[in-house]
Amino acid sequence: MIEVEHLNKVYGSTSAIEDVTFNVSEGEILGFLGPNGAGKTTTMRILTGYLPATSGTARIAGFDVHEDSLAVRQKIGYLPENPPLYPEMSVQGFLFFVARIKGISAGDRKSKVAAAMERCNLTDKRHVLIRKLSKGYRQRVGIAQAIVHDPPAIILDEPTVGLDPRQIIDVRNLIKSLAGSHTIIISTHILPEVSMTCNRVAIINSGKIVATNTLDNLMSELTGGSGYELEVGGEVALAKQMLQNIPGVNLVESIPMLAREGQQIEPNRARIRVVSHPGDEPGNLIANSLLQGGFALHEMRRINATLEDVFLQLTREEKSLSPHTEADEVNIGEAA
Amino acid sequence: MGIVLGNIIAIYRRELQTYFVSPLAYAIAGIFWFLAGLFFVLILLGPEGILAAVADLELRSQRFGVPIPPIDVPYEFIKAFLDRMGWLLLFILPILSMGLYAEERKRGTLELLATSPVTNWAVAVGKLLGVLTFFITLILPLMVLEAVVLSASEPAAAWTIPLLGHFGLILLAASILSLGMFISSLTNSTILSAVLTFAVILMLLFIDLVAKVIGGQIGAVLGHLSLLKHYNNMIQGIFDSNSLILFSSYIILGIFLTAQSIDAFRFQRN
Repeated sequence: MIEVEHLNKVYGSTSAIEDVTFNVSEGEILGFLGPNGAGKTTTMRILTGYLPATSGTARIAGFDVHEDSLAVRQKIGYLPENPPLYPEMSVQGFLFFVARIKGISAGDRKSKVAAAMERCNLTDKRHVLIRKLSKGYRQRVGIAQAIVHDPPAIILDEPTVGLDPRQIIDVRNLIKSLAGSHTIIISTHILPEVSMTCNRVAIINSGKIVATNTLDNLMSELTGGSGYELEVGGEVALAKQMLQNIPGVNLVESIPMLAREGQQIEPNRARIRVVSHPGDEPGNLIANSLLQGGFALHEMRRINATLEDVFLQLTREEKSLSPHTEADEVNIGEAA
Repeated sequence: MGIVLGNIIAIYRRELQTYFVSPLAYAIAGIFWFLAGLFFVLILLGPEGILAAVADLELRSQRFGVPIPPIDVPYEFIKAFLDRMGWLLLFILPILSMGLYAEERKRGTLELLATSPVTNWAVAVGKLLGVLTFFITLILPLMVLEAVVLSASEPAAAWTIPLLGHFGLILLAASILSLGMFISSLTNSTILSAVLTFAVILMLLFIDLVAKVIGGQIGAVLGHLSLLKHYNNMIQGIFDSNSLILFSSYIILGIFLTAQSIDAFRFQRN
């Protein structure tokens, strides 16, 4: 439904997005996740035909967003970062206006506008002027204008910004109810939002897509699924070596010990994180081998990978990579 | 074609709707009606007004026995009044056109228009028609006043010349608004847009004078571009198809440039 291939956008000498490639199949909700300034809005503006890409192609429903802009615009509903509203219009008047410019026939307008207001819980406010609405309601009017013409593809740029928790839940439910019959891209920097609404995630950082996958795959692939946090007494280096050899264990690393209040850090104790391979549950093996090896096991706690972990890992990797390359360049320079 | 027309009507209606709820529009209407009314009364009844001047002439002719040529008072009045109105437009129109696009850009609604299945020129035409309708609403009460005065004229005044004059006034306004709309599409500052439009109108009104100074062929060409010259011809009852073509050219140029600038804007903004 939405195919994005090798999109680049350069503003002057700075590059906003680089080689962005992803696909969204029909009926799917893709979460477009990234920190602020990562290039989410730029990508969405290119998809809606508002901005041209410097290079690369994007197609929606088979139409190129640049070549067949008018055809694409008929197929999409778009909520920009700032909801595009005319403050002097009433909610209903504004939605009728949008329905007209989206080309809904006169006979269908009334029912479509009513349906959009119903979906976004705006029916009570239909005669209120938009400038008198709170931020949350304005955001909902913004969503209503994106869905009023029942477009096959819906692009929402940070749809829950500025809403209170109750409204956020309403909006998420609304988005979920649109799935199936609509293909949706939501951009957000709020992690739980993605896990609650989306089938798939594309993570973008500094203009580059760093991962695209389903949520479950992403989490298990990147953090190796779940793991354990241990507090071990004894010869720590030996313990780590032994743990590393247990089948199913992927990674063993030390975690700094923090002194609890009023207590000293006991010598000969260490906290260790053990990350297991996806699908493996080596908990018993870990405990057994530690005890049999004569180590003390003071604490063992199960840890589950969260989206935050994935996200931080991905965006941190990106960052930690760049100093390396810089350092390499410096070394090369010195050698020469 | 039907869809395009529907889009133009949708944009037109929304544009018109904003004028009727905008305090600025009411303020402009108030000031415009006050000034136009003032001119109206002064030109007709003031100490230097037409009636006083004609009475003075008649008095002199009676005293010295010199016959004066017959004076068409309604014609002279309409000519003088529409001439002042032309000047008044210089101040009113930039304020009407300044927000046409600048406001949309500031509010971010241009993003809605630009991602909807509407062509740029349909938006421009709808907006121009909207602001022009508001302008016609502004001059309608004045036309009623004129009709009252003209109908009191003895012998009955000719209606064709005032009608042509007002047609000229609307064409002049449409040309200026169209260029003002283009200027508005270049910026998201309404003030800047108004000031620039004012400067451009001033230039187009005075190009006539500049042309006379330059002289020669270039001067002649420039002279033809003058909005004021063609407007003055029309309020004197001279209808030339050149005037119609010139005004239409300005209007179409404005719409074309607006559509192009919105397109270009989408290609380079950051």
